[in-house]
Amino acid sequence: MHTNAGNLKKGDFIHYQNAIWQLQKAEFYSPGKGSALMKTRIKNLLSAKNIDYTFKTNETVEVAQIDSIEMQFLYKDGQNLHFMNERSYQQYQIPLSVVGDAADFFQEGKKYFVYLQKDNPLTVRPPLSVKLKVVATEAGIKGDRVTGAKKPAKLETGVEVQVPLFVKVGDTVSVNPETGEYVERVKT
Amino acid sequence: MKIISNTQNLIHYKVLLQVEEAVHKFMKKKGFLRVDLPVLSPSLIPESYLEVFETEYRYLDKRQKLYLTPSPELFMKRLLSEGIGNIYYLGKAFRNSEPSSSLHSSEFTILEFYKINADYLDLAKEVLELLQFILNSLRRHSGESRFDRGDFGQARVTIQNQTSFSKWEKFTVAEAFEKFAGISEKELFDKKTFINKAKEKGYRVSGFSYEDIWSQIYTAEVEQKLGTRGFPTLIYDYPKEFAALAKLNPDDRTAQRFEFYIQGVELGDCYTELSDWKQQQSRFKQEADKRKKMKKINHPIDKGMTTALKYGLPDCAGIAIGLERLAMIFANVQSIQQIKLITVET
Repeated sequence: MHTNAGNLKKGDFIHYQNAIWQLQKAEFYSPGKGSALMKTRIKNLLSAKNIDYTFKTNETVEVAQIDSIEMQFLYKDGQNLHFMNERSYQQYQIPLSVVGDAADFFQEGKKYFVYLQKDNPLTVRPPLSVKLKVVATEAGIKGDRVTGAKKPAKLETGVEVQVPLFVKVGDTVSVNPETGEYVERVKT
Repeated sequence: MKIISNTQNLIHYKVLLQVEEAVHKFMKKKGFLRVDLPVLSPSLIPESYLEVFETEYRYLDKRQKLYLTPSPELFMKRLLSEGIGNIYYLGKAFRNSEPSSSLHSSEFTILEFYKINADYLDLAKEVLELLQFILNSLRRHSGESRFDRGDFGQARVTIQNQTSFSKWEKFTVAEAFEKFAGISEKELFDKKTFINKAKEKGYRVSGFSYEDIWSQIYTAEVEQKLGTRGFPTLIYDYPKEFAALAKLNPDDRTAQRFEFYIQGVELGDCYTELSDWKQQQSRFKQEADKRKKMKKINHPIDKGMTTALKYGLPDCAGIAIGLERLAMIFANVQSIQQIKLITVET
């Protein structure tokens, strides 16, 4: 299916330069000379890389038919993340290489949106923020007042992140899965 | 389409009011006469890159098509050719087929002014003075010697202070393409070479005109870099294809047009006005043909204006500035919607 770039909106999927991209931003712009334009930020579905691209509004763009289906995350192994469609009970695998660092933040039993093209899984939408329990970390060193001092902590999914010294085993912390960085301690 | 009320924008809206007030004061001080003009007209100037709003006058069996003016230019040029002198308009203008975005709204406030016996670069000096005048008046209003903050009663708003209006950063269009897009002057003006260069850069060229591709590269690679180095940027001498109503330079390939930018936002568009009525008529015809080809609304061409030009438009330069965009810079906000109390969004 084709459309004019002028019709694109946030969330749409398109084929561009032999890859599938999702629109993160689409804004009309008319420079008052030549064609009107659609300024977009597009995210490569497989590499998760964002680029800015300016289309002419009357430029034809191939729309990618992508289904986004909510599925239960089962487990992670050495190569893949495993999901199950709870309606069909069909299982799908997504390679770790596609998901990148965010793969460490999926929680078993929780639901995530899996992107499929003709029932072929492409990738999964990583959670925007995750709240995870600290399962192991050294006790805070008393008297250490260095601002911003951090220590490693192991979280319930097995991932290790740097946290402030006051964080204890049993605390729940919020982490940005894209950067793998600690955001804040959350009250439970 | 929906109507959105944004009373949380009151402090930014007040900056818009201050900017408007400063504009009136500046124009009065400089001896420009304010002209109040219709926004409904039975005929317009043909401009291929704009779409218009069409409506209808009705009385009994009488029907007459009317158009909302996309700029006050046609009326102002009539007045100029009748010898009215320096004039300005600050009021509404309407542009169809432009979906709401951070820098676009179908209805907006335009400041347009014309100066007799001046060319585009003379007018650039006036614009710089105007920017400085607005900043000073916002400073005074804030009641502080430092100008970075204005107090508008309810909350404080940061007045744009990253840009100094003491001078222009100037580039010709050719220099800007060379510097920011790596396209040489030779490549820029030779249509075939330019299109090949665009193709090399990965742009879709098949089925598109030189103007379309030019516009795409300009927007994608040049525009966002303008007005970001501490001074507003003046970008001038456009290829003649982009200046339907501007006087040509002696090189015969560029026209006396400039635009100016602050923080990557285009704020104004200025021409040394074309006063040769024969040239004007032939350009009108080209623009009207383009409109027809692009299946745009087929409005009557304003003949009165051509007649007026025939009797003589004085040598003058004119500029149009988007008031909302200008106020956005001073209010330090990123979209038109943030400085309006009510917006209608597409």
